[in-house]
Amino acid sequence: MRIGGRRPPPAPDAELIRRLAELLAETGLSELEYESDGYRIRVARETALTPLPPAPPALQQPPPSEATPRSEATSGANGADHPGAVTAPMVGVAYLASQPGTAPFVQVGDTVSEGQTLLVIEAMKVMNQIRSPRGGRIARIMIADAEPVEYGAALMLIE
Amino acid sequence: MFEKVLIANRGEIALRIHRACREMGIKTVAVHSTADANAMNVRLADETVCIGPPPARASYLNIAAIISAAAITGADAIHPGIGFLSENPDFAALVEEHGFVFIGPSPEHIRLMGDKVRAKEEARRLGIPTVPGSPEALSDFAAAAETARNVGYPVLLKASAGGGGRGMKLARNEAELARLLPLAQAEARAAFADEAVYLERYLERPRHIEVQLLGDGDGAVIHLGERDCSLQRSHQKLLEETPSPALGEASRQRLLTLAVNAMKRLGYKSAGTMEFLYQDGEFFFIEMNTRLQVEHTISEMVSGVDLVREQIRIAAGERLALGQSDIALRGHAIECRINAENPEDFRPSPGRIGDYHVPGGLGIRVDSAAYQGYDVPPYYDSLIAKLIVHGATRDECLMRLARALDEYVIGGIETTLPLHQRLVGNADFRRGDYHIHWLEDFLGRGR
Repeated sequence: MRIGGRRPPPAPDAELIRRLAELLAETGLSELEYESDGYRIRVARETALTPLPPAPPALQQPPPSEATPRSEATSGANGADHPGAVTAPMVGVAYLASQPGTAPFVQVGDTVSEGQTLLVIEAMKVMNQIRSPRGGRIARIMIADAEPVEYGAALMLIE
Repeated sequence: MFEKVLIANRGEIALRIHRACREMGIKTVAVHSTADANAMNVRLADETVCIGPPPARASYLNIAAIISAAAITGADAIHPGIGFLSENPDFAALVEEHGFVFIGPSPEHIRLMGDKVRAKEEARRLGIPTVPGSPEALSDFAAAAETARNVGYPVLLKASAGGGGRGMKLARNEAELARLLPLAQAEARAAFADEAVYLERYLERPRHIEVQLLGDGDGAVIHLGERDCSLQRSHQKLLEETPSPALGEASRQRLLTLAVNAMKRLGYKSAGTMEFLYQDGEFFFIEMNTRLQVEHTISEMVSGVDLVREQIRIAAGERLALGQSDIALRGHAIECRINAENPEDFRPSPGRIGDYHVPGGLGIRVDSAAYQGYDVPPYYDSLIAKLIVHGATRDECLMRLARALDEYVIGGIETTLPLHQRLVGNADFRRGDYHIHWLEDFLGRGR
């Protein structure tokens, strides 16, 4: 995979939120909503920060597939030819933990059993659990949290 | 204008689209299967994403993978190319739902024209003739005989539920119709569990003539002339030329006006092609392709218009900058499809290309992703190159084509180059005297 110039997801601008919050205090309003360029920020007092508009409904997606080592001898995806490599069965964004800030599914040195969840790959807004094809010890994790991965990319090494 | 376009295709057409993007200052994302990791379009792209294993259903037809690739690369738009997902209305709709622009027509128009029965109904509604026949299944012999008298013999009986030639019978007169109707019904019942058959006039020597159209969805539509694609084998085009050697100027203008007016009424957006059969001065609509076509290149050669660039501009919301009066169609152009196939029995011939030398000189264009040492994969269609030749006249074009074919060297695999060399020397072809069944006769004679 060769990608560059990845555009950050449309995240709220921290400075803008700070200014909106100040405005809220200044004016004594309980709620304030700002919309621009397809995203909307709503700041409210007393109640907790209202979440952003919900993501579009999940689309039809084949059931999460098991991570299987590729049988083709073709390379092309960053060193996926190691016999213990777990490779990405789909294109998407790989997450090492179920939520930001929570413990990762696995860490280097962990012993895992066959079928245990190693990570998730988000594809078309669906979280696909990638399970261990075999039991063993996690020798290496080749991706960072929230890293885009292509089909066949090496994710982890299990010994 | 878009900053980054994802090209959801492979081979020469992916490279063709990459070239248009580059010339517009747009970055490209190549998606590819593991079999195409070394393809030229992948090497040249700004960004690449492997989307699956070799089988197309797991890669080039894998909608989730393609949309995910667009998301992780931050592409603005997706060009579907030719084949694969290019005429899938669900894909077009999903692309838009996920916030990307689909470079092509609206999903509604793709859906409408993808349903061949509805497309013909729509054509009739838009004032375009279709092959005369019975609109409904024939109830009995009396109804069949009356319809046949109205449309004129010979007539072809076809299974309503069918396709692929099953249940098709050719009747040249009423006696044959009486004999063949029960047979057609029985065959239809056996093949499709439905004995309903209908009939339409059988055209014995029609030409396949199509019109290249470009619309902006705001009612502006232009044509880039017609293409004659009558040289076909098993419904696969082998060589195309423009203008058609069979059409006089009056017939040509009648056809072009008919097609443009229909697309204006439809409010068609993007590039599209209306295909017709032409025989004895009459045109009959057969189908519309709501996408770029392989043979778009010859229309570009005579018009000077870059069709992919126009598709991208229109998808980005721009109006059609060209009026019909801005289009001057100059000279003659021919495209030869060079397939990795045995030139006699058409067996696919994948493998590594050894020596590779492309022809050059004035009026020559080669659209191909092939190179010396390239492995033609066995998983996809066999088109590896298009040789496109332009000349001031048809004669000049034919001389130049013969010269270019002699220069072209593709070693290591079998290709259709020798067949094109035989064709270009054939007297019927040189006179422009051929129809859609001609090539198969020619190939039969060569055995």
